[in-house]
Amino acid sequence: MRKILFLAMCLMLPLGAGTAQAQDRGVALKADKLVAEPFADAKKVGSLAKGDAVTILKKTGGWYLVKGKGPQGWVRMLSVRRGEAGKSSAAKDVAALSTGRTGTGQIVSTTGVRGLSEEELKAAKYDEKELMKAESFVVSKADAGKFAQKGKLLARAFNYLEPIKGRP
Amino acid sequence: MKRCLLLAVLAAMATESGAIDLDKLKKLEDKIRNPTGQSSPAPQAPAAAQDSPSAAEPSSPQAPAIPPFGNVPEADEVKIGRQIAGNLLGAAPLVNSPALQGYVNRVGRWVASASERPDLKWTFGVIESDDVNAFAAPGGYVFLTSGLYRLLRDEAELAGMLGHEIAHVVKKHHLKVLQKSQAIDAGSTLLKKQIGDQKVAKTLIGSGAEILARGLDKDAEFEADRMGVVLAARAGYEPFGLPAVLQEIGAASADSSSVALLFKTHPHPDERLARLGAAMGANFDKLKNSKTHQERLVRLP
Repeated sequence: MRKILFLAMCLMLPLGAGTAQAQDRGVALKADKLVAEPFADAKKVGSLAKGDAVTILKKTGGWYLVKGKGPQGWVRMLSVRRGEAGKSSAAKDVAALSTGRTGTGQIVSTTGVRGLSEEELKAAKYDEKELMKAESFVVSKADAGKFAQKGKLLARAFNYLEPIKGRP
Repeated sequence: MKRCLLLAVLAAMATESGAIDLDKLKKLEDKIRNPTGQSSPAPQAPAAAQDSPSAAEPSSPQAPAIPPFGNVPEADEVKIGRQIAGNLLGAAPLVNSPALQGYVNRVGRWVASASERPDLKWTFGVIESDDVNAFAAPGGYVFLTSGLYRLLRDEAELAGMLGHEIAHVVKKHHLKVLQKSQAIDAGSTLLKKQIGDQKVAKTLIGSGAEILARGLDKDAEFEADRMGVVLAARAGYEPFGLPAVLQEIGAASADSSSVALLFKTHPHPDERLARLGAAMGANFDKLKNSKTHQERLVRLP
């Protein structure tokens, strides 16, 4: 029965459902201010309301430069969800699953596409040779330190974050 | 209408699989609590579980009253992890690029050095798969798929993703799942014996990397997200690398079957981002000289 429904769904889904949204679109997840520079204390130049559609122009660290209805400005990256307004990426992705391998219980292989499904993981056979190859690439702590130094990566103290109580 | 039907079918699927898994879990719980085999009254009826949306998550039971975990010696943990890693590599081999594998090990080892387990023999790798996913096994084994690696835009994003997986190892999340499932629980006679060689680990884990297909509970994933950004920050990287990858996964899923397992075993990226965003807040605003090293990211061959 489920299978029949699935088939029905597949037929009903328009071609191209689940294809990538324009990469530069976004939606405000919550109300937040827009600032002139990507810093918390930069001058406020506007604001976003929850649900506002924006175009993401640039990314720097934890900030997006966005343009919505009003003036453009920088907003905290995590105040914006990438993707089109009104479309939950969950629904979109799961919709496309029905055309793929999951849920049907059958592995649909496409030339050149190599997946790693639950079934394949369960059926996996131990490969000592490949594991030894992986272990041959292990680097020492000292070598990793040299690599970091080359990239001017400075080790610094930072406490782990507290979990958020309840739903954010 | 189309959407309604879709939702209905999805809901049916989700609750069905959720019920099965909960049932399994319940049985395991019973077994652990009551090894004599007498069934105990169900604390949560399956029907009630089906009504709750969170029940669709196979790995989010309310914390069961499991006895405290016994300590698995590190050498045993490594053998168990080695077995799981070997099984995973049997399903998807390494990407054939020594330059890439060496690079991922250097970044990963540096990030792991900022963790509470800096002296494990950390082993990182990129495996051949178009699926978007990452795996951690006890003892310091961490693998990203080439499908996930392809989404990365700079070294800070790589550091953040590896930080998330490193956190699973540091917190022994998978080891605890194995203990719960009695493969290696404290009362097991197998554990009481010293794990002498890889053969015994093989007996414990068996073949297959089912443990990696099963997923952890949601809180373990949220915790690993919070730790991942901090580990990247401690290592000198821009801490927003991990959320940037999560945004990428949430937004761009053209080939959506590629995220099927990831979405099944993890909370949705939107939920992870909302929680991570709330936890990060302004905590990183004062951090200076963070690096992204876009120029240094080694591309897939």
